[in-house]
Amino acid sequence: MSPVDSPVESKAYPGQSGQLPEHQVWRWFAFARRSLGMAGFVLNRVAGLGLVLYLLIHLVVLSQLTRGPQGWDAFITLARSPFFLTLDVILLAGIIGHGLNGLRVALIGNGLLVPWQRRLLVVLAVLGIVLWVIAAVLIYRG
Amino acid sequence: MTHVMDTRNQNRAGLGWLGQAVSGVLLLILLGLHMIAHHFVVKGGLRDYQEVMSYIGNPVIAAIELIFLVVVSYHAMLGLRSVLLDLGLGKSQEKWVTRSVTALGIIMVVYGVWLMSTLLSRV
Repeated sequence: MSPVDSPVESKAYPGQSGQLPEHQVWRWFAFARRSLGMAGFVLNRVAGLGLVLYLLIHLVVLSQLTRGPQGWDAFITLARSPFFLTLDVILLAGIIGHGLNGLRVALIGNGLLVPWQRRLLVVLAVLGIVLWVIAAVLIYRG
Repeated sequence: MTHVMDTRNQNRAGLGWLGQAVSGVLLLILLGLHMIAHHFVVKGGLRDYQEVMSYIGNPVIAAIELIFLVVVSYHAMLGLRSVLLDLGLGKSQEKWVTRSVTALGIIMVVYGVWLMSTLLSRV
């Protein structure tokens, strides 16, 4: 086992996670010596942090609704531009990836489907890509 | 005494992990509904002001959106806390993190309820 993959017990969930990245955030990105599952765990955290940031921005943006049609509809015109639609598609990749990978982590963490975890990862990855492509087409089509 | 404290912390952590998993599964459903309702079945991809008002004017929809707000805030703050606690903080910093994310979560829900009630008063 490499130093990067050495078991570190989570302070938030002691006993629940066998292997966690070391405490230095930069070591989360040392993918070269990590297992696929470990890389998924780290990506889930990075996507989760991005989604928390987006959630806070989204809540602030929703305040435009209190300004009535002139405030909200002006924002909607901007949000329908190709640049913002592309940001939506990137956001969707984060949401779908985080959601399905989180489901995988929850199942494996509860001891479910452990013998089939590699197959589960492949199935969820394929499902995620299919959902993302369909959603991207729907978003661009408007 | 230390053993009792450890057991209590383990139980609390187990509950937190379960809460994160359950709220995550709920979010797959609620966020899916939210995305379909707000983006995929609307002409132009996003609801304009009148469409938003008529949408949230439905009490069932308003209730679902409020449940979504509570679940997403809980899941987000619990996740943020777990990432921060795993950075190797001291005991007092851990308490500060827990209080801060709890406060932020409460602010998010209170703000969301205020926003929803403000909009509903105009329907």
